Amino acid sequence: MGNALQISSRREGNDSAVLSLQGEVDVSNSDLVKNAAVSLLADNVQRLVIDLSSTEYLDSAGLGILVGLLKRVNESARSLVIAGARPQVKRVFEITRLNGVFTMRDDVASALQEVA
Amino acid sequence: MSTVATSQIELKLPRKPEFVKLARCTAWTLAAQLDFVVSQADDIRLAVGEACTNAVEHVPASASQDIIVRFHIAPEKLVVEVVDDGPGFDLDRVGQCDCDEIGGLGLVIIRSIMDEVDVVCDPKTGTCVRMTKFRNPQ
Repeated sequence: MGNALQISSRREGNDSAVLSLQGEVDVSNSDLVKNAAVSLLADNVQRLVIDLSSTEYLDSAGLGILVGLLKRVNESARSLVIAGARPQVKRVFEITRLNGVFTMRDDVASALQEVA
Repeated sequence: MSTVATSQIELKLPRKPEFVKLARCTAWTLAAQLDFVVSQADDIRLAVGEACTNAVEHVPASASQDIIVRFHIAPEKLVVEVVDDGPGFDLDRVGQCDCDEIGGLGLVIIRSIMDEVDVVCDPKTGTCVRMTKFRNPQ
């Protein structure tokens, strides 16, 4: 059964990065998201944008990874912003009330302004 | 699908993360074929995915290697049971959405999006998460 998730990243300036998740994030691949984000943070990224504009599905396993990343970022005085979540994905944040925990923006451009 | 000849469909899946998608996609397809509106089919898909994820993540390795997903089809509703032989949920802790207790989020989500949810934990037979979605008028 193939991996339904494509992960890509790009640097923005000296210390920002955008991590884009295309496809479905679930228990089978959420560790890949964690590894990609941790790798960016280890590479001196101070401001991280998680781009969910092409994320078709996100479950509690994916949310757990994002919460773990947020804790890690907050503990090291960095920042993390969620960008472009589609309605179905945004609803999962709302159900769990994590929309009040994360900084969420409508698109990557707005998120990058937030972390600038 | 205007009529469904079978009133019950059962899947037996390996208790592995890569098969959770198969369960939730089957749930979505069935709900769509039963003329549930898309938002309801999306809810059923998410709920089945969360129940299966719980079975994958929280059942000890010594338990059975299978998950049973049963769909009970009725004119006004779809009932889905996800069954494993693990010890089940700590029901006293479920329902509180706390970022420090992320493991409980799955059942919080299920209870938020399904119309009825029952969790039966039996040390002898395992755990059954029974979820019901009533059909909205078109």
